[in-house]
Amino acid sequence: MLSCKELVAHSSDLLDGRLSLRQRLAVRAHLAMCLRCRRFIKQMRLSQAVLRQLPQAPIAELDALAAKLAELRRQQR
Amino acid sequence: MDYPSDSALLARLLAGEEKAFRELVATYQGAMRAVAFAIVGSRNADEVVQDAWLAVVRNLDGFQGRSSLKTWLLTITANTAKTRLKHNRREVLLDDLPGPHGTIGDERFAADGHWLLAPHAWHQDSPDALLTAAELRECLEKTLGSLSELQGSVLQLREREGLELDEICNLLQVSLSNVRVLLHRARLKVFATLEHFEETGQC
Ligand SMILES: [Zn+2]
Repeated sequence: MLSCKELVAHSSDLLDGRLSLRQRLAVRAHLAMCLRCRRFIKQMRLSQAVLRQLPQAPIAELDALAAKLAELRRQQR
Repeated sequence: MDYPSDSALLARLLAGEEKAFRELVATYQGAMRAVAFAIVGSRNADEVVQDAWLAVVRNLDGFQGRSSLKTWLLTITANTAKTRLKHNRREVLLDDLPGPHGTIGDERFAADGHWLLAPHAWHQDSPDALLTAAELRECLEKTLGSLSELQGSVLQLREREGLELDEICNLLQVSLSNVRVLLHRARLKVFATLEHFEETGQC
């Protein structure tokens, strides 16, 4: 039987869908019985979503760069 | 072309439309920067991205659409970075620089592997609600800033840019097992920061 510590060690592979069938079954069996690890995985997924939505710094000089690249392209034609 | 969503943009790029380039830069520069960061480090990353953009424009006619535009851009960026690096390839830092709020380490578990200090329920359970706190946003930036260049890039490429692990390995020339380790440790550090903030209300 998988321990909580092992489940945590496998958590990223779970999130990335990289567990083998055997591991997947073991993880599923553990999660069915362990509220704490269910919470941990839920919070890991939430952390992922938070990172995804974390606002990114605006790109410096976006307009100038776009203008330069477009100009270069037009010169090429 | 196999990637129909790219073809409209590509046509506009080929025509030299400025707005199309603006769209291209806004959409992909973040991922390109992460790739450059991982390979040449922060000091030279911006220059590599600039050079990569020039290479993109130079080679636009040769883009065949056999890969997605994104993959093509990131490959050019990685190649530009590797050329810059030439022989002095930096050592792959498998880290581990400590995160500001630690990680989920051995001390959280009893000898038998059960939780000793299990995670508490968080007050918020949507990303929007969590991110309304400006202090948490800053706190996360701090944690991301504490990651090594390679680890930070791997995390960004996976979580924000949605790249597959195999793609990350190929671009950065890091083995799959190393990418998995880097990613897992980075996620635990981010988790520890969120947990700390949820429990204490401060960074
Ligand atoms: Zn458990």
